[in-house]
Amino acid sequence: MKGWRTLFPNAWYISVREYRSRVRTRSFVIGTVLLAVIAFAATQLPVLIDFSMSTSQTRVVVVIQASAIPPDSEDLLDAQLNGASTGVDAHKAFVLSWFPAADVGPIQKDLEAGRYDAFLVIDRDAATGDLSFDLRTDIPQDGVAVKTITNAVGSLEIEDRLVRAGTSTAALRAPFSFNVAPVSATSAGTKNISSEVSTTLLSTGLIVLIFMAIITYGVWVAMSVAEEKGSRVMELMLNATTPLQMLAGKVIGNGAAGLSQYAIILAAVVGGLLAQGPIHKAVLGTDAGAAFGGLDPAVLGAFVILFVFGFLLYSLLYAALGSLVSRQEDVQSATSPLMMLIMVGYFMSVFGLQSIDDAWVKIASFVPFFSPYLMLARVSSGHVALWEFGLAVLLLAATTIVALFVAARIYSAGVLLYGQRVSLRQVFRAARVSR
Amino acid sequence: MSLLIDSISKRFGDVQALDDVSLEIQPCEVFGFLGANGAGKTTAMRVVLDILRPDSGRISWNGTVNTELPRETWGYLPEERGLYAKMNVLEQLAFFAKLHGVKPHLAEREARDWLERFRIPEYADRRAEQLSKGNQQKVQFIAAILHDPQVLLMDEPFTGLDPINVAILKEAFLEMKNRGKTLIFSTHQMETVEELCESIAILDRGRVVVGGSVRDVRRSTGRQMVRVAVEGDPEVRWLGTLDGVTVTRHGQDYVEAEVSPGYDPGTVLAEALARNCQVRHFEIADPSLEAIFIERVGQIDTSERTLAPKAVRS
Repeated sequence: MKGWRTLFPNAWYISVREYRSRVRTRSFVIGTVLLAVIAFAATQLPVLIDFSMSTSQTRVVVVIQASAIPPDSEDLLDAQLNGASTGVDAHKAFVLSWFPAADVGPIQKDLEAGRYDAFLVIDRDAATGDLSFDLRTDIPQDGVAVKTITNAVGSLEIEDRLVRAGTSTAALRAPFSFNVAPVSATSAGTKNISSEVSTTLLSTGLIVLIFMAIITYGVWVAMSVAEEKGSRVMELMLNATTPLQMLAGKVIGNGAAGLSQYAIILAAVVGGLLAQGPIHKAVLGTDAGAAFGGLDPAVLGAFVILFVFGFLLYSLLYAALGSLVSRQEDVQSATSPLMMLIMVGYFMSVFGLQSIDDAWVKIASFVPFFSPYLMLARVSSGHVALWEFGLAVLLLAATTIVALFVAARIYSAGVLLYGQRVSLRQVFRAARVSR
Repeated sequence: MSLLIDSISKRFGDVQALDDVSLEIQPCEVFGFLGANGAGKTTAMRVVLDILRPDSGRISWNGTVNTELPRETWGYLPEERGLYAKMNVLEQLAFFAKLHGVKPHLAEREARDWLERFRIPEYADRRAEQLSKGNQQKVQFIAAILHDPQVLLMDEPFTGLDPINVAILKEAFLEMKNRGKTLIFSTHQMETVEELCESIAILDRGRVVVGGSVRDVRRSTGRQMVRVAVEGDPEVRWLGTLDGVTVTRHGQDYVEAEVSPGYDPGTVLAEALARNCQVRHFEIADPSLEAIFIERVGQIDTSERTLAPKAVRS
């Protein structure tokens, strides 16, 4: 094709025009802003969770009427109620306010005013000598909070009885032997739960990114082809350019517009993660936990390569199909076979992630139309050799080049075909004789 | 040194859109394609532009085959008017100019110059969809000529324009011609052809039925027209009684008649004088293009003929 020699600068002018007119559309602006806001909000989820936890705290006021309770009762109750999350008040399920032998009157008022959720009086029964507990609260009596308090005061009762029987508190707290180990020596837990989960999440996220880009921005390419045909600008374009220039310009221009949208959303995510700490501090008065998960540069590199080729391959096909319809309204139905193909690849990768070492996943990860998803899934799981990745990319790139010529042929024939329905036979016949 | 169309044939399925079409169009000439809808005018232009490849035959401009020519050789105003609806006019024109190889920094200036010349400079910053049909057509015309093409092909350039804009467009035609451009356009309007064209070709069902200079075409039938007006006798009834003379039209100012080949039109004048008529008007003319068109093609059929329905037309 002689179009190769003269691909630029016309393909460049076309891509600039495509890019500009795309990013100026209302749907692009609204979509980008909306997605960026959602992405930013998603990064603030941990803050929201911490915040909702802080409001579900149970504030308990404890009044000691009893004499001679065990000296570390306060620590004991705190540990029993809050489990491991001691230390910072904001993360605790129960906050204790401790009043030794206070006047009950004002505390009762505070309770009624809603400053506390529960009012616990610890007294000693004169007859048995045991501690007695009196809990007054409006929180549900069969709820988790009351059960936890019941268990905690039970521990305090047992400790008090042991101390009164003559056991020293030091003996009560003496360490004992407790070991945790994996079942067999070889499967020694190299992976912990959180890293396993984040790898799956990450690869799912990357696959979704490719999937979204292909279906969203691929359709843009088809729409822009159909628009030119529908408005008959195509006829002016045909004299000015070659089909190859138009194809290249459209794919590059719309791809760049899509990447811009991605970049803005990514910026919102990074900004959100960076802002997480300060926002957490402002809302809750404390610092947030860890923010950035580790991203393997090899996975990122594979993602970029597969993203580019996957997008090119599919958007070329979208352009070819877009050239067969006369009106933008028909784009949806004309491109539905392609949509099916994309969905099949996507769902294969979703199921493939569960059984990444199965033979069918390995085979499918070399098939050009599926490799952008499945090879990415395999790379991010770390179960793939370099040659396997190289082969998949080679096959994908070769298919993309074939697609370029096929698409250019269909395109140059399709753009002159006007009518309600264009049969495949008609396209091939036209493609044979077109330039 | 000419545009040579050499035995072009093109078939779309069952329809022979072009059937062994040969034409030679001289540089700096204004050339008219005449024909009914579906006669093959648009296909012929597309084949010349190398948008469609013919099944057989070849096309050359100044000795170079059209497939080897740079695209900026041609300027094309398609029959279907279309612009990018949301794009502003100036940007749009600069875009098309750049695609045709005009240097980016010159493209906008040229576009402004032409908008000025077409008396629509205030539309430079409007979006195309905000313009009237006629003004969109002017913008399209500018898009076709901004890159200063050697050959300008226009498909029905005058349809849809009001008389003032037709006059402006004709002016632009003449200017392009004076700049040494070759102009080729298709039309139904015979008066425009007689006014502008030096040569024509009449196409019917993909064939050239007659072609050549306008004068030769008009003389091609061998018949001539006489127009007679006589004082006091608006009907000139005796005219129809002459052998070889057929009255074709009773006008307000004169009666028109066709004389068969070999018949001396001077006989009509002699007859008038012999009848002692006071002749106010006597004219010998070639038949109009309209008459020739009707004779050769049958009638000016403005209804859409379904010659190439699936392939090139909606």
